[in-house]
Amino acid sequence: MKLTPAFRQGACEGFRDFLPLSVGVIPWAMVTGIAMVSTGFTPLQAMGMNVIVYAGSAQLGTLPLIGAGAPLWLIVTTALVLNLRFVIFSAAIAGAFRECSLPMRWLCGHLLSDGVFASCMKRLRLSKDRHWQLGYYIGPSLWCWLLWQCFALVGVLAAASIPKSWSLEFMASIAMLIIVAPMTKLRPMLVAAVTGAVGALALRGMPLRLGLIVAIVLGIAAGFAAEHWQAKRSPANEAE
Amino acid sequence: MNYDSSLWLTFILIGLATTLPRGSFIVLGSRVKLPSVVHRALRYAPAAALAAIVAPDVFLVSGDLHPFNLKLAAAVVAVVAALYSRNPWLPFIAGMGVLLGLRFGLGW
Repeated sequence: MKLTPAFRQGACEGFRDFLPLSVGVIPWAMVTGIAMVSTGFTPLQAMGMNVIVYAGSAQLGTLPLIGAGAPLWLIVTTALVLNLRFVIFSAAIAGAFRECSLPMRWLCGHLLSDGVFASCMKRLRLSKDRHWQLGYYIGPSLWCWLLWQCFALVGVLAAASIPKSWSLEFMASIAMLIIVAPMTKLRPMLVAAVTGAVGALALRGMPLRLGLIVAIVLGIAAGFAAEHWQAKRSPANEAE
Repeated sequence: MNYDSSLWLTFILIGLATTLPRGSFIVLGSRVKLPSVVHRALRYAPAAALAAIVAPDVFLVSGDLHPFNLKLAAAVVAVVAALYSRNPWLPFIAGMGVLLGLRFGLGW
């Protein structure tokens, strides 16, 4: 990473574009911090997870499984499923990093987040200047990382002094609902979510919490089928 | 609950399950293309997974299906707040407010 003027300018512009959206990271990070302590982690374990994993939805999603003593493969598979959307994001911005070194590309991958992707993808793809592109991505990504760690720590420290009867762990469920809610404005996405939820409830008796994985697979299949059915019924909506 | 040192192995594996998908195409380069069927199916993974994880917490009370309970009421309020407000704090305040208000205020 060379601190060329183009890199610096890119970093400043990326930071400015992401700054308003980055406020949204704060409640997330705090809720994740609180949820990790509610699961029974010590502050060191909680911050260890926060640094090693650095993924809100994968952290929140695996906490109930870790807390219930679910088998390791199920925890890891669930995390992987929750992160699959990043394969698409990664493919969308890969072109910007093609001249970067391998360690730098791994770092950029590790730092990939929903917020930075949403605010920076458009200009990142339009630019042709490699240095500007790297700065434009790394600048807001490091800011996002810093906010995430700091406010998760605030959540971890605050949670320790709040009584258990306040059910703070429910904030993790609220957080997950907030991610799903706007997605369901698209009909096939709603079908996927409802199928996943109903499946998880209906199959809760399966051993090793296998019902969860089956429910997720059913949800993906149902969403995909609904998309096909919708496209067939009204071809004009296909672009939606 | 106390966790032994295997918790750290769990963290590292979850970390790999996070960084590998994120790094995938950035590391491999843009020459590799994702088949469009896979691309379209993957979009449904987060919604299906998150809904499947949340549903038991919201609909079950100590293992049994209860279509009307405190957490469901709180969840509905939080979702409405998320859909109709751009304030990132409001869903948490509204949801926890309903949960704790009903529990401590009305003694449910």
